[in-house]
Amino acid sequence: MVLDPITLEVLWNRLLSVANEQQVALMRTAFSTIVRESQDLACGVFDTRGQMIGQSLTGTPGHINPMATGAKHLLAAYPPATLRPGDVLITNDPWLTAGQVNDFTVLTPVFRGDTIVGYFANCCHSADIGGRVLSAEAHEVYEEGLRVPITKLFDAGEPNHELLKIIRANVRTPDETVGDLYAQASCNAVGARSLLQMMDEFGLDSIDPLADAIIARSEAAMREAIRALPNGRHEHEVWSDGFEEPIKIKVAVTIADEDIYIDFAGSSPQSRRGINVVMNYTHGYASFAMKAAISPDVPHNEGAFRPVHVSAPAGSILNCRPPAAVASRHLIGHFLPGAIFGALAPVLPNRLLAGGADPGWMSIWRGAWPGTENPFMLTVFQLGGMGARAIKDGLNTTGFPSGVAGVPAEVIETLAPLIQHRRELRTDSGGAGAQRGGLGQATELSYRGDGRWSVSAMIDRTRFAAQGFDGGQPGAPGGFYANDLGTLAPKTVVWFAPGSRVHLDPPGGGGYGPPLAREPERVLADVVSGYVSIEAAAREYDVVIHYTGTPAQLVRLPEHYTIDWEATSALRGT
Amino acid sequence: MQSRSYRVGVDIGGTFTDLIIVEEGSGAFTVGKVLTTPDDPSQAIEAVLSEALARAGIAPAEIAQLVHGTTLVTNAMIERKGARTALLATAGFRDAVEIGRENRYDLYDLLLENPRPLVPRYLRFDVPERTLADGTVLTALDEQYVERLAGELAAAGVEAVAVAFLHSFTNPAHEQAARAAVGRAAPNMRVSISSDVVPEIREFERTSTTIANVYVQARVERYLRELETRLQRMGVGGNLFLMLSSGGIATVDTAVRYPVRLLESGPAAGALAATAYGQAAGHPNLLSFDMGGTTAKICVIDQGRPLIAHEFEVDRMYRFKKGSGLPITLPVIEMIEIGTGGGSIARVDALGLLKVGPDSSGSVPGPVCYGRGGSEPTVTDADLVLGYLDPAYFLGGRMALDVAGARLAISTRIAAPLGISVEAAAWGIHQIANEHMANAARVHALERGKDPHRFPMFAFGGAGPVHAYRIARALGAPALLAPLGAGVISTVGFLSAPLAFDFVRSWRGQLGALDWAHANTLLREMEAEGASLLEASGVTAGAVRYRREADMRYVGQGHQIRVPLPDGELNDAHLPALQAAFEAVYRELYERLGPPVPVEVINWRVVAAGPEPELQLAVRAENATAEAGDAVKGARPAYFPETGGFTSTPIYDRYRLAPGAQFTGPAIIEERESTVIVGPGARCQIDAQWNLGVDLAS
Repeated sequence: MVLDPITLEVLWNRLLSVANEQQVALMRTAFSTIVRESQDLACGVFDTRGQMIGQSLTGTPGHINPMATGAKHLLAAYPPATLRPGDVLITNDPWLTAGQVNDFTVLTPVFRGDTIVGYFANCCHSADIGGRVLSAEAHEVYEEGLRVPITKLFDAGEPNHELLKIIRANVRTPDETVGDLYAQASCNAVGARSLLQMMDEFGLDSIDPLADAIIARSEAAMREAIRALPNGRHEHEVWSDGFEEPIKIKVAVTIADEDIYIDFAGSSPQSRRGINVVMNYTHGYASFAMKAAISPDVPHNEGAFRPVHVSAPAGSILNCRPPAAVASRHLIGHFLPGAIFGALAPVLPNRLLAGGADPGWMSIWRGAWPGTENPFMLTVFQLGGMGARAIKDGLNTTGFPSGVAGVPAEVIETLAPLIQHRRELRTDSGGAGAQRGGLGQATELSYRGDGRWSVSAMIDRTRFAAQGFDGGQPGAPGGFYANDLGTLAPKTVVWFAPGSRVHLDPPGGGGYGPPLAREPERVLADVVSGYVSIEAAAREYDVVIHYTGTPAQLVRLPEHYTIDWEATSALRGT
Repeated sequence: MQSRSYRVGVDIGGTFTDLIIVEEGSGAFTVGKVLTTPDDPSQAIEAVLSEALARAGIAPAEIAQLVHGTTLVTNAMIERKGARTALLATAGFRDAVEIGRENRYDLYDLLLENPRPLVPRYLRFDVPERTLADGTVLTALDEQYVERLAGELAAAGVEAVAVAFLHSFTNPAHEQAARAAVGRAAPNMRVSISSDVVPEIREFERTSTTIANVYVQARVERYLRELETRLQRMGVGGNLFLMLSSGGIATVDTAVRYPVRLLESGPAAGALAATAYGQAAGHPNLLSFDMGGTTAKICVIDQGRPLIAHEFEVDRMYRFKKGSGLPITLPVIEMIEIGTGGGSIARVDALGLLKVGPDSSGSVPGPVCYGRGGSEPTVTDADLVLGYLDPAYFLGGRMALDVAGARLAISTRIAAPLGISVEAAAWGIHQIANEHMANAARVHALERGKDPHRFPMFAFGGAGPVHAYRIARALGAPALLAPLGAGVISTVGFLSAPLAFDFVRSWRGQLGALDWAHANTLLREMEAEGASLLEASGVTAGAVRYRREADMRYVGQGHQIRVPLPDGELNDAHLPALQAAFEAVYRELYERLGPPVPVEVINWRVVAAGPEPELQLAVRAENATAEAGDAVKGARPAYFPETGGFTSTPIYDRYRLAPGAQFTGPAIIEERESTVIVGPGARCQIDAQWNLGVDLAS
């Protein structure tokens, strides 16, 4: 079959639309906030050889590549010849897929008559999988919950009731955990329906030639983008708070003609606690970073991974050996793109991001519904500020590198007896710069009941701030504290009295370029909007601004602020 | 003599105001088109209406109904020309509308931008008050604070306030009290409260929609009241109605209260017109392509219905990407609208590349060839230079076009900097505009999983038929269809929708544990409200039809699906049927059922509608002939690269082409308000409905 460029374009777009349809179905049928609100997921379509052809538009890089690798493991365990229509495969093995037992990968073969013509898979984060509540506290993966080996979720259309019974008995949120598994099966079926329709419509017997063409083009485009870079080796290192001690992530990026080698030798060794990263996940975020840096518009699939070679020493924090504890692996994995961008900065001037909040903040809240013994458990994502770009400020409260979304206060309060008292932009949290880092946010929660309640805050960057680029200043580190208990420990379960007010303040992003290069008028606009305080304007930017309104007035308009040009010139020496 | 009665549809676009008058019963119709008058859009309506009434010999009092759509709301939002607006939010949540969803709408693009709220941060205020998820009050509303704030806002020149408090969709008391407090302190302040505009969970989207509503309200009200006055002065009888984004129509009072529902009302009418024509011509599946002076609108018509979405975005800031616009939660006909129209300005950019749009010359000053002061070359100027438009027959000859001016502008601004001929420059502008529109059409169709190869294109709007042939070719469409009166035919959409009102009541309960008495009361209330509104609008009681639906989901899910409900009193005996109806819809959407958990109802809905209007247009076929050669009124050179450039091309008089007439391109088919351009070799035929069909399959 010969695919002309126009047909290829049409079919390729159709496949993407099918994958997006799959993702929409997943979110609309899901039960947990993690999937239905925060999109901690990936969806993709695969050819008959298990190669990923396309993925849905949003979601998380941490799930995409591991899902692609996972598909191959699933098919090795259940060879296509043994599969029947209505079969759905599943596993949450951290080393085979996405690096923690909370992430279920679900794969469905697409039958056209008796023949398998492709697969749909998705990977998403389950509300609970038993064991310890998600934290970094475990020493071994066995403490982190139920591990489901590669098995069938549905067998010829029938739910695997024995498996579901075991899962229900092991988790704190049986309805949500099992409800999401149904959603994962449903969305694959929706994808399959549309794929079959597409094949009928275009008279295709196989999508493999299409896959080959797309993958080959992606690979070629990626290689071309790499060839445009000068050969060389570039190193960088970043630090995470870690759990008991800080964790170093060291990276060397080697550009060699049309291949890129990303090596993490020199990073901290495997931790004794649950912040270890499996190789799949390391690969996911490293290859994501390369694609975002050099060829964001090239379709992401098997071909885009091929020129990117990722390695990390076995037994290191980025290639842990079983039975390492891995539950909080994202808190380390999300640092990888920032580390790689730091290394590539000299080669790609003006094209990358300054350091940002990096890990998405995830908190798991537990307690009982007031007046009952019925437990509640709710997972909430929050995002800090992105790093500034060479030509634009960093985005406020927008996740990077993960693509997860936050949870509306109204949804939080409907699903749990919690009250979110505020959720606002954190003034002065964006690193100063010619382009300012994105702002983090300030949030505060309390509990409506009269018993004890707890949170496990899977967060980072409370000690090591996001670094600026090219003279830009660091963003503000994150904050985690309670009114009655002071500063709290991240990555562990913390218990509260009924009246506690718990603050989670995700960090801001770093600035890009020297703050003195920012025009005083832009600093003024930031002060008017409350992104930057009058004090910080003078301290960080050498711009003196006066508020000319009265102290009592509630409405403070742009005309109530003026730049003191004389004082500003004196400070700036202009 | 039997009394005559007419229905009128009128659409205000960015460049032109279009009109149709249809006689009830006979289907005889009259159309009109004039330049939009942006400073007072109702002026253009009066002008085109008076002219058309006079031309057709109809008295204003014979008008029974006038249905209207306008781009006023969309433009006010995109151009940020609404009222100076403030937001009153629950203390701690004034940033909800800026923090948004916190995710990236494109994983790999590092230069994304987030949508910029209509209210800047310094006009967003934390108000002491708090309602919880179950509707109980944690902190009473500080009304004195609201009064003080409202007084200061009024003094600062703020004209509009959006109030969006958490959980107001469950308990609206605080929002209502805040509205009253603002009214006491600032009686002239416009206020929209979120529990009234869109009583649905998720504060970001609800707040964004509420802000949009009040932001445009003053403009919309001023305009509609002016229009009402004008129509009264003219002696126009009957009622004025507005088309909504959903394709329904509503009274002026409803439109003034919820102006955000008028977003995309003109384009919605276009989609309905395409649907109606498609049905009549035996094409339930169509790609509707509507190109006017300012924008092009593309919409998939699938199995005789346009697609409806529940949420959409206005003003996409970044590469038109989904996620970069302001979210608006309301039912809307799904379409893609891009900034390519006849008035789109062509320029050579800093990289030495030719760019077309998205900025438009609008109706003032308009393209260079309009001779109204425009100096930058536009798509229409290019079309004129290419010979596609007749300078002496634009708008039927009522507006002369300046060819020399258009040539000069293209020559100095495009051809000279690029070092090419004027013709090559004009062809380049034409091609790039086509490419934009073909890409948008492809994306829109594909995002919905539709194959543009299989959808005949239905082309209309003043500029649509000039460009449709090339775009349809680029998309691989099997056929092109251009209706008679293509330049104004979107107005038919206004007259093809029944008068309808949508009602929703949020009241949650599990199937099997429902208080049926309460459910029945809610449904009856909504039906009664619908009946009285429809009767007030002239629909007889017996002609009202009701459609009941419930939004249902498995307990624990976050999204619901819409399930039809039976008529009459509901009770436990209906449970198996309701469960079955839910499962049928769920399976249809999601292929397999969910886990074995109970099902709940979240919202109860009623749509009350008047009768479907009978709309059969009667074409007056004077001198029309199936012998196409007899309809040729001349020839002129027009540009076709296939035949080596300018080629002498026959001009057909559209009004003389009767059903059955056949001819082959290249051809120019002229009617007063638009021109169809057909490339060399393409076979054309007039069908029984007087549509011009172009076969592109061969």
